[in-house]
Amino acid sequence: MKTTATESRAVVGTRFGERIRLNLQPFYWLMLALILLAAFIPIVTGSSNLREQLFLVLMAVILASSVNIIMGYTGYVSFGHIVFFGIGGYIAFFLMLNYQVHLVPAALVAGIAASGLALLIGIPVLRLRGAYFALATIGINEAVRSFVNNFEPFGGSVGMFFNVQVFEAYGGSRNALWLAYYGIVAVALLTVTASYLIKRSKFGLGLMAIREDQDAAQVLGINPTRYKVAAYTISALFPALAGAIFFFKNGIIEPAPAFNLTASIVSLVAVMLGGFGTVAGPIIGGVVYDRLREFLLTSSIFSSLHVAIAGVLLLLIVLFVPAGLIGELRRRIPILRRFIE
Amino acid sequence: MSHKHFRMIGLGVLWSLLIILVAACAAPASAPQPAQSGASTKPIVIGFTASQTGKLNVESKKQIQGMQLWLDDVKKAGGIKLADGTMVMPDIKFYDDESTTERVQALYTKLINEDNVDFLISPYSSGLAKAAAVVSEQNGKVMLTTGAADDATMEQGFKSTYQLYTPASRYLAGAVDLLGQMDPALKKIAIVHEKDSFSTSVANAANEYAKSKGYDVVLFEGYDTGTTDFSPFINKITAASPDAIMGGGHFQDGTTLAKQLYEKQVPVKFVALLVAPPEPKFVEIGDAANGIIGPSQWEPLVKYSPESASAANLPWYGPTVANFVSAYKAKYNEDPSYHAAGGYAAGLLLQKAIEDSGSLDAAKVQAALDKMDLLTFYGHVKFSTDAKTHGKQDAHSMVYMQWQKGADGKFVSQIVFPPEAKSADAQLRK
Repeated sequence: MKTTATESRAVVGTRFGERIRLNLQPFYWLMLALILLAAFIPIVTGSSNLREQLFLVLMAVILASSVNIIMGYTGYVSFGHIVFFGIGGYIAFFLMLNYQVHLVPAALVAGIAASGLALLIGIPVLRLRGAYFALATIGINEAVRSFVNNFEPFGGSVGMFFNVQVFEAYGGSRNALWLAYYGIVAVALLTVTASYLIKRSKFGLGLMAIREDQDAAQVLGINPTRYKVAAYTISALFPALAGAIFFFKNGIIEPAPAFNLTASIVSLVAVMLGGFGTVAGPIIGGVVYDRLREFLLTSSIFSSLHVAIAGVLLLLIVLFVPAGLIGELRRRIPILRRFIE
Repeated sequence: MSHKHFRMIGLGVLWSLLIILVAACAAPASAPQPAQSGASTKPIVIGFTASQTGKLNVESKKQIQGMQLWLDDVKKAGGIKLADGTMVMPDIKFYDDESTTERVQALYTKLINEDNVDFLISPYSSGLAKAAAVVSEQNGKVMLTTGAADDATMEQGFKSTYQLYTPASRYLAGAVDLLGQMDPALKKIAIVHEKDSFSTSVANAANEYAKSKGYDVVLFEGYDTGTTDFSPFINKITAASPDAIMGGGHFQDGTTLAKQLYEKQVPVKFVALLVAPPEPKFVEIGDAANGIIGPSQWEPLVKYSPESASAANLPWYGPTVANFVSAYKAKYNEDPSYHAAGGYAAGLLLQKAIEDSGSLDAAKVQAALDKMDLLTFYGHVKFSTDAKTHGKQDAHSMVYMQWQKGADGKFVSQIVFPPEAKSADAQLRK
């Protein structure tokens, strides 16, 4: 994961020149405005169909952007990042079902718990490098899935489900689905903001230094394990919040969809498609991949070919555009680097 | 061509894809065209998601085939007649849900709001049906669940969801009774089941039922969804030396388990597995299928008929068993399984409810479904009207089939239980 010399210079320039003006970049406001604009369309039109589609798009953006923090910025591929989505979903669901906790506090508790777990896992596991870390994250996902499968308070293999009457506390299932949508919009904005702030901060530079050469970063005074664990802990928060909201909306949680490794890989593909290590990349990647998947699934011509087409797309990216759409744009048109993170 | 050119082409392709996608998403989706229209013909659309890919695709595909056959029959008959003489011409619209719950709610919302479907059929499997029910109930759409047998799903106070399958808790009870009838000396049962919502519900219910009947459940073990190597479980089974094995899960794992039990020559007298054995494709595992029993919602040899309906003082509706089987065979060149029959029955019962209510109004169709109590080729159907279990299947009963090797060396699927429905005596495995 080497960047070009020009990119490194740009990074250093950022490092020394603009630390104070973090929040003033028009790019950030533009990104936020675009997300908000899109999010408002179903609210204004009242279209529940658009709301459902945007819910999935925003969820894809959250998963891709959060995995980008550890994968794109730090260079550690977290294959099993979906584990936090599942943990967040399970903890929140458990609280809502058994203690009638409202979605918002339940999601927050779930997010903090998932981050806490990431901290505990990260301390030993992030001492590993490269493929060993990637393998360890798959192992963690599988281990947690097996644990939940046998953990009766979480419903074991049957999982847990709401009686539809639960939604009455939120003003009926119609309002509950809208609440879930507002929640996912908020989490998406939070994720993108965090991703941007990290990228533009000294902490982010530390992570990127680790990505380029961990030993050299250490010589410069960076404590790699501490940085990596912090990145991993932050990146675990957002999928957990998304999981809490998603399973609340679904009304049912089961181990297989909660800890679905394929969903993890899909978010890695979205990061690769958009451009890893950039802020906009995972957003574009998440949007494009999710729309592509839905288009293929619901298309009368391609419906049975969608998996094959997604595979070909991944091959094209790896072969021709390894830096992703945004990465390639930034590489080809250097002036864009000043505007697109 | 240089590497640079390749990269440019690649980038071009990717951005083109992006533009096409945006354009495709912005374009209004075309509604399915009715097969025919006329002054007195009203088209309607029945929507659902199907597991065309993923682990449930075998069962789901049969369900669609059954539904497609029903659609053909209705179209041949000129539609469904309403009270005012209008003919309703149904069509179906479905999307792939990839056998996961992730997209089910979005697709059902799309079906309701964008495709403007009039009625809904559930996805295949209990987990997916639960997620779909949240959306269908919210929109007040009538949804018939077929391929979803979980009890708990239907104990939520649903108002417009109706279950066709006999609930999961009654899946293996008959197998326990059959075992006792075949040889009362066989007392040790091993229950090995897939760890998913449906199979675990069935296994838990079977465990309790077997114990209440004085059986010794020597092993109660779950395996993960997607398991392909059953050696550790087979070793445990062998160590517990049971007389009977019950359990399984869905088609793929059930077939593999049966095959590996045969390869390892596990000496049990009785094997009853969920979902897989009633599928005609199951017999492709050859001798490993011999003697395997499967609880089934329906079998081609069932004896429901207009005569049995009048004997039971019930109205009869739809094709006879023989007509359904021959039409299915003619169209698909294979025997129908219970998943296929469930698909046909879902359409048929909806048709009956529309006819009875004489209307397409959801509330009126719902009232007709509430009142429904009839016999079809699929069996006796009646839905619970109790507020807590509204829509749960009350009357339909299971049959138990067994693969038996005939004198000509060919395998035949025989109904072996209950006694009043059986086409052959059950055989113990040698």
